[in-house]
Amino acid sequence: MIITDNLTKKYGAHTALDHLNLNVNAGEIYCLLGANGAGKTTTINLLLGFIEPTSGSAFINQLNVKDDAKATKRFLAYIPENLMLYPNLTAVENLDYFSGIAGKTLSKSDLKAFLEEAGLQAEAFQNRIATFSKGMRQKVGIAIALAKEAKVLLLDEPTSGLDPKASNEFGLLLQQLRSKGVATLMATHDLFRAKEVGSHIGIMKDGQLKQQFVAEDISLSELEQAYLNTMDYKELAS
Amino acid sequence: MLSYNFKYELKLLLRSRWIQLLSVVLLLLFGFSAFNGMEKVEKRKNDIIAAKLEVEENDKLMLQLLDSVERGLAVSVPRWTIPSNPMAVGNYHPRVAAMEPQPMAFIATGQADLFTHYVKPTVSGDDFALNFTEMTSPVQLLFGSFDLAFVIIYLLPLLIIAFSYNVLSAEKESGSLRLLAAQPIGIQNWVLQKLGLRFFWLAILVITVLTVVLVVLGINPFSEVAIYSGLLGLVLAYMLFWFAVAFLVNLWVGSSAKNAVAMLGLWVVFVLLVPSVLNQLGNTLYPMPSRSLMINEMRSMKAEVTEKQDEILDNFLRDHPEYAINDTTQQRGFYHRYMASQKLVKEEMAPLISSYEEQLRNQQNWIGKFKWLSPAIIAQESLNKMAGTATEDYEGFRKQVVGFAGKWREHLMPFLYNNQDFSQADYDALPRFTYQNETELQFGGLGILLALSLVLFATGIFGYKKLSGAGILDQA
Repeated sequence: MIITDNLTKKYGAHTALDHLNLNVNAGEIYCLLGANGAGKTTTINLLLGFIEPTSGSAFINQLNVKDDAKATKRFLAYIPENLMLYPNLTAVENLDYFSGIAGKTLSKSDLKAFLEEAGLQAEAFQNRIATFSKGMRQKVGIAIALAKEAKVLLLDEPTSGLDPKASNEFGLLLQQLRSKGVATLMATHDLFRAKEVGSHIGIMKDGQLKQQFVAEDISLSELEQAYLNTMDYKELAS
Repeated sequence: MLSYNFKYELKLLLRSRWIQLLSVVLLLLFGFSAFNGMEKVEKRKNDIIAAKLEVEENDKLMLQLLDSVERGLAVSVPRWTIPSNPMAVGNYHPRVAAMEPQPMAFIATGQADLFTHYVKPTVSGDDFALNFTEMTSPVQLLFGSFDLAFVIIYLLPLLIIAFSYNVLSAEKESGSLRLLAAQPIGIQNWVLQKLGLRFFWLAILVITVLTVVLVVLGINPFSEVAIYSGLLGLVLAYMLFWFAVAFLVNLWVGSSAKNAVAMLGLWVVFVLLVPSVLNQLGNTLYPMPSRSLMINEMRSMKAEVTEKQDEILDNFLRDHPEYAINDTTQQRGFYHRYMASQKLVKEEMAPLISSYEEQLRNQQNWIGKFKWLSPAIIAQESLNKMAGTATEDYEGFRKQVVGFAGKWREHLMPFLYNNQDFSQADYDALPRFTYQNETELQFGGLGILLALSLVLFATGIFGYKKLSGAGILDQA
């Protein structure tokens, strides 16, 4: 579903992403770990077609993002770190608008069903987004992905700033989507959440993918050790 | 996408109270400016009515005097003002040559605050020295008139700027653009739709508010359907131009602050700078000859001909033998000589007058060639024409008055040279002035505005991809 082939992005002399090769299949959650500036967000921006690669290619559902940017977006949903919806519209209206412009015409009951599936409390459906917490907005974001029947989900540090309960709920929602065959790529700093929800984990540094693991094959402490070693935090690693 | 944008754009505008605020502002601006324009038209109408009443009263007195004279009664007025003398009729009982306001005159003051709307040409007056200028407060001239044209040309673009400068940048700054850009839509298309919808709602608002204001002020806009449709068409085309500018600025500039500064800068260029520069250049390239010099020249010429009045009169009568045949008395007085010399002065002055007029025409033509550089000039010219207050209208009025002055003189000349008294029976045959509005309603300005808007939109649609490179989010 998500493939990157020697994907590279340079800004002048600085290489933000260096020959990244990734393959995320349907029903997999790939968590990209790394410090700030490691290239996680650049990867997501390239997959979304927001920026053009210097070299290499990115594919979503077998379509080259550079050549078919608009077509690839039919299959994907995206939740950024701070999901900014329209504050003066309600949850139902935001969902209706975003799924509408994506080409999905939904009835009011369908919209409510998606919001319910995303875990939003029914009494919040008709409230304006301006009154929502970040966790509630992320749930609307998931509802947009559900309504869109996205095959690919791109998440850019979606749990940062969420309280443990909200973060846990978000993890459960991702598992639900995984069971539906959605391929998810999640950029995160949260090792614990990555281990808990991810099927695969990659560690990035300086634009390069340094290590990859199958989540089941590694414990949280081993993951932490690997991360610290990769980042050259020797004192912390010992 | 359009139906969803349509539905939610209005909801967002209503919830942010933009539409309500805009409606109130438009209502106040249109209301006050239309009222102001109507007051001026009303004053103009009253001035003309007063002048006509004065002539009516004067005519009654003239007929009474004629009646007394014809009955052989003594009259207690100076001898030279007794109306049996045709020159007394021509000088002391002139007709009013008035330029009646057009039905939509309240739209634009145009040249109305510079020129007078009625003149009383006399037989001994000089046509070219007829004073068409109006006494106006210099402060009023400095700041201009607060009429509908001012609101449409100067203020409406500012409202459009406030309404459209941040359509894209606000999404970028709030963060919702990333979510939008992740949808299978073209951002450029989305911006176009957003601006299109804002244009649509604003157009509805402007049409409604304008119609309501006119109806409230007692003007039936549908009594002049062609002009009113032309007015609405022009306003919409002018608005479209500013939305096209907003489209380009939204796509190319960036942050909301930069967009606002860029759009205000363009407003200054199109509305203030270009018209002012064109006007200055027109004056420099085609300077108007001095009116004082012209009057001095006329006076010295008059002084010259005064010395030769006997000779001039002889020549005149040689050219007009009918006067010599019909007149049995062959008495020749001051006016016989004066009128003959006036004719000569007029012929001699003709080249100077035409150079004055030609220079004015050259100025207008020069500005006309470059008016497409500023939509404000196009809109102002078109509104002035609709209102009947354009330069051409006043020039047309001046020519009609000069023509009428000639007719007035020509009508009374046979009485003078035949030494025939003017009588009550001749009163009804006196020439009367009726102003003919010769300016045809043209929609050329509307066409230019639409063409300019289309060019800007096309530049945005076809030029954007080439210039922006990777994508909209690269600009942040």
